[in-house]
Amino acid sequence: MVDKVALQILANHCRAAAENMAYTLYRTAHSTFVKETQDFTVMLTDAGGMTVAVPMDLGATWYPGINFGRAISLIPDYAPGDIGFTNDPYSGYLATHAPDLHLWKPIFHEGEIVCFAGGHIHNTDMGGAVPASLSRALTEIHQEGIRFPPMKLYQAGKLDETILRIMLLNVRKPQQNLGDLKALVGALNTGERKVQAMLRKFGVDGFRAGLAGLLDYAEHQARDMLRSIPNGEYFFADYADEDSVDGNPCRLALTLRITGDEAELDFTGTDPQLTSSLNVPTGNDPRHTLLLVGVYYVLYTLNPHLVLNAGLTRPFTCIVPEGTVLNPVFPAAVGMRSLTCARLRSLIFGAFAQAIPERMPAAPAGASSIVNVMTTDERTQRTVIAAINPVVGGGGGMPHRDGPNGSGADSAYLKNTPIEINEAEVPVQFLRYGLLPDSGGAGRWRGGLATTLEFRVFAPNTRITVRNRDRCRFRPWGILGGSAAEPSNFILNPGSASEKILGNTDVAVADPGDVIHIHSPGGGGRGSPLDREPELVLRDVERGYVSLRAALSQYGVAIREGAVDGEETARRRAEKRRHNKPASFDFGPERQAFETVWTPARYDDFTMIMTALPVHWRFFAKTKLFEAVRELALDGTKPNLWEAFTAIRRAFPQMPPVQRKPNDQPAAADKKRMLAD
Amino acid sequence: MAWRVGVDIGGTFIDFCVLETDTNRLESLKVLTTPDEPGRELIDGLGLLADRHGVEAAKVAAFVHGTTVGVNTIIQRKGARLALFTTAGFEDVIELARLRMPDMYSLFCTRPEQLVPRDLIFGIPGRILADGSDHYPLDEEVLADAVALARGKGVEGIIISFLHAYRNPLHERQAREMARRLAPELFVFSSSEVWPVIREYERTTTAILNGYVHPRVSAYLTSLETALKRRGVSGDPMLTKSNGGLMNLEAGKTACVSMLLSGTASGVMGAAFLARQAAVDNVLTLDIGGTSADLALIIDGRPQFGTGETVGDFPLFVPSVSVTSIGSGGGSIAWVDGFGVLKVGPESAGSSPGPACYGRGGGRATITDAMAVCGLLGNAPLAYDAIAIDRGLAERAVGEVAAKLGLGLQETAEAIVEVAISSMFVEVNKLIARYGVDPRDFTLMPFGGAGPMLGCFLARELGIGKVIVPQRPGVVSALGGLIADMKSDFIRTVFVPAETRSAPLIRDTFAALREDGERWLRDEHGFLGPARAALSADMRYDGQSFEIEVPIEEAWVGAGDVAAIKAAFHREHLAIYDFNDEAAGIQIVNLRLVITGMTARPALTPAPLAAGEAVPAREVDVWLDGVLRRVPLYARSGLAHAHRISGPAIVVQEDTTVCIPAGFDAAIDAYLNLNLASST
Repeated sequence: MVDKVALQILANHCRAAAENMAYTLYRTAHSTFVKETQDFTVMLTDAGGMTVAVPMDLGATWYPGINFGRAISLIPDYAPGDIGFTNDPYSGYLATHAPDLHLWKPIFHEGEIVCFAGGHIHNTDMGGAVPASLSRALTEIHQEGIRFPPMKLYQAGKLDETILRIMLLNVRKPQQNLGDLKALVGALNTGERKVQAMLRKFGVDGFRAGLAGLLDYAEHQARDMLRSIPNGEYFFADYADEDSVDGNPCRLALTLRITGDEAELDFTGTDPQLTSSLNVPTGNDPRHTLLLVGVYYVLYTLNPHLVLNAGLTRPFTCIVPEGTVLNPVFPAAVGMRSLTCARLRSLIFGAFAQAIPERMPAAPAGASSIVNVMTTDERTQRTVIAAINPVVGGGGGMPHRDGPNGSGADSAYLKNTPIEINEAEVPVQFLRYGLLPDSGGAGRWRGGLATTLEFRVFAPNTRITVRNRDRCRFRPWGILGGSAAEPSNFILNPGSASEKILGNTDVAVADPGDVIHIHSPGGGGRGSPLDREPELVLRDVERGYVSLRAALSQYGVAIREGAVDGEETARRRAEKRRHNKPASFDFGPERQAFETVWTPARYDDFTMIMTALPVHWRFFAKTKLFEAVRELALDGTKPNLWEAFTAIRRAFPQMPPVQRKPNDQPAAADKKRMLAD
Repeated sequence: MAWRVGVDIGGTFIDFCVLETDTNRLESLKVLTTPDEPGRELIDGLGLLADRHGVEAAKVAAFVHGTTVGVNTIIQRKGARLALFTTAGFEDVIELARLRMPDMYSLFCTRPEQLVPRDLIFGIPGRILADGSDHYPLDEEVLADAVALARGKGVEGIIISFLHAYRNPLHERQAREMARRLAPELFVFSSSEVWPVIREYERTTTAILNGYVHPRVSAYLTSLETALKRRGVSGDPMLTKSNGGLMNLEAGKTACVSMLLSGTASGVMGAAFLARQAAVDNVLTLDIGGTSADLALIIDGRPQFGTGETVGDFPLFVPSVSVTSIGSGGGSIAWVDGFGVLKVGPESAGSSPGPACYGRGGGRATITDAMAVCGLLGNAPLAYDAIAIDRGLAERAVGEVAAKLGLGLQETAEAIVEVAISSMFVEVNKLIARYGVDPRDFTLMPFGGAGPMLGCFLARELGIGKVIVPQRPGVVSALGGLIADMKSDFIRTVFVPAETRSAPLIRDTFAALREDGERWLRDEHGFLGPARAALSADMRYDGQSFEIEVPIEEAWVGAGDVAAIKAAFHREHLAIYDFNDEAAGIQIVNLRLVITGMTARPALTPAPLAAGEAVPAREVDVWLDGVLRRVPLYARSGLAHAHRISGPAIVVQEDTTVCIPAGFDAAIDAYLNLNLASST
């Protein structure tokens, strides 16, 4: 019965099954990670492990296109009642860091697997070197907790107690892990029951054909959208501020090639894998879900009727050289991949913004700091450890309206904790939690404002950890004449004699009375600020989103006594237009300065050197090269990367030589470059 | 002889339900609204009630009514221009809200425009801490400036919401007094008087909603009072509340936020009453109108209560009957996408232009048109003769969809119904999953104009075997008001560990809540009848970020038995989440008290047994389950106690049409409910 006409009926039933699984998990999970942060997913897959249906209300947004196939196949045979699981980022390439535990349960009909119910939970801790198992400073996967390759957790309905005991022995919060694990198993069982009901309703052949139909349906929708994008090559690069503690920038590069209804995502030019935990493990999978999260956002934004499943990934092929930050080889640490994933998303948004600027927003803030405090409660003398709040920035200016303030785009799933609850539970006092004026990129449509969080602590040796610090240096970009947004920052005792700029630091220690200030980046602006209606600028000024000064300097709007001075505004704007050279992207002065040294040509040389070196030399060589280039640039010398490399080899003769290839065939990425050299 | 009159005022109709208290005779009436002359229809209706049923104005002992005036003010954004005073440094509390946004896969996701624009939000220095201490005094100079500025910007009222005011309302009171003194023409509400609960966004937005609808609701209630007085209605007029209870109009003029779900909540209360009469414990109510459908669960005879329902674009945090609204109704539009997949909704033809077959200018095929094409509608006039179905127009609209699909007209119509049902299935399933209940234990009770039409189809999809269609599905809300109790909720945030040392505070707080409750019921409402106070506590394990409400027994509080309170929490946690942790610490966040002044529930008189078999009025051709067939059509008015009919069949009545597919058998019970049971 599942023909195209009725495909929506099966889609609805599959969606209902997925929503049911999500509610079961959400309702019965123990940890705050699952309950509040909703860092979990559930799905139905086809018999090959391709995701067919996901929930839309609950859970994280990263895995609608996840493929369980490789992990499934690492277990030779399945029987009814089995449940497979893994958390190892290096076997099966399903899990992407150790805290994520992925499970899958085959669902049988008359002895044959018709589909799988699957899902993941983020465990608060999986053991390893640091509590919560995550730190930028970790350098190999072994430090990031206990790992399990794909194996059976349940055999024919029976839990393998041995595996469980080993797991629970090695983690810091065994009861929470166990509670969440049981909740996920409950969700898979819910999924199985719902699938059995669907088998009765649609018949096994109808159900199978329907799943295939749903994947085809999503694929068709994706291809439809690709066809609406002009053929061509679109190059984009974006940078994480630091590749390790106090490190160098980490560049992600992408050449998006659109040909008809297909797209190639070539990540050649991306930095080498890091000796920190910012690597993103994708296992040479040309359609790995982490590489395509930005694509899901773009497709869903272009077509809100999109069916979210792995069929969407079919027209896309990713090329990700091995030994790079987006395809690290064992045993690179990967725990903090979420920071890099945020850059990966803005990279994809940027590439699509080149292809279809008329339909894309500017960059969202793209760096959501998660603030935790460990302090002593003076009333009880007890140590208090608490998650305070995510500090999230606004969305980018859209084709038809301003970016939302203080949240939006790819961070819209995050939730905050009320100030009153925080103050009742944690001995800190908040001074400010609100929007930061003038932080959104100026534009015809303004970027969403940044959020500021400021609080005072009262106990000595109070530790503040702020995960995912980024966009302190390289700003969220503006497009089509819109400006880049204000960057983020982390400051101790702002405005006082003891002020200390902490920037991307993710751990700080404070004394009694110290004030901690964190603000996110804003969202980028879209279109020329000179085209923004003066009334909208006036409204922004009235609302305190934009200062009088910025109204004049950025928007050319003169406001006197609460009204727009039309004549003066016209004069200012005409003058500004004369000096204005419109660029399609505005990256802000920091990136502009960086790229006058690290030009695309120099990055090509750099990539060539990195690619030629054995993987274990790359991060070391990168660090040394950056050091050398920094010194040369300080001297005012035009750095020559090859000479610098030769000098480094003289100091470290163990480093293998690299043959310089003739550069007459520039990388494809160079052909259509928008970056000014 | 006295009458209780229940009235529900909707967009198109005013529904009346009246009860003669001595005889328990129940009558109903539906009148078209007169948008040009609000209040007029009410007087007309009362006149008709007097003429038809002998309801004399002077003998109306209780006049209970539900209204959408509050919710419409929010949806249409026609409320008061407000200023908001917050603690300095926290002026963006309503814009940041709780951060998470709906539609999280879209880069274009946004928040709704706030009810108070940022330029009318003023931060006032002054700080109360979490323990209630006055850390920094209220800055009266800044406050005075803010009042002057707000006044200059033409606001009608001021909302005051300061941090930790649930714990110590001192600064809010000072600010309120000062604002009233400086600007006596403005109304002022403070967050601690509206709903004094911890969590600044939730408390602030509740106070804002209250102020936003206040002028319109208050004016409306005043004119209603006048109209009733003129008509000579003797009883004290009452208003139905979101919590399913009642309050008087005087209270309604200021406690506006507690009447926003007025009619919706009493619909569920009415359904629960009918279910109890019919001895059905677990009910899924389904009220389908033109653009949306409301779903609610009645478990073990009790409607469910919660917070976090939405009104327009905003969450509502005062206790309300839990109702889930979904954007699919009789007017949902069918269309075909580029892949050739048939879709229904979310776009709706609404009530204007409405479905194509209404002949009011609608051209696109809706669910109602699909039902008309199948012959399930259009056999009798709809909505008390207000609408005649033009099947030709329905066929033309559905025909366009059929052409795109390459299917026949009826096949297309049936497919539209199936797709629509499957999308409702998703939403109902989520509701059921949230409560962790099994749909097979439930009876579906469809009402509203389109509910009984689609009810059996949805039941079939859900695996629900029983459907009950009330005798008067159009006036369930009005009936709900009629049988409602006086009821009010009170809350105090205590935020203490569940330890014996907290016992005195718990006792004192409950005593204070009880005083508030008694004052509300006895003094403000002059209620003399039997009353009940239910105690509960919002509790959680240390480290959790949400609470569950646990009923508390009076005796535990008196005896300081915190162990019993903890045990109750462990039990409740186990029941809701399938696990508990007896070793973990517990926090008591809020204490609550619900005071109820009980209204006598009428025992409806059973109808006499039917004399013979049910006789169809005629036979009609309908397309059902893929074939055209001739099925009997019954008039609901001709169906009597103990009559039985088998599907496929159609039952028409003044306010709706009941579709009975094959595989369902119907029996009329003593209260004239149509009980449908699936034979499969």
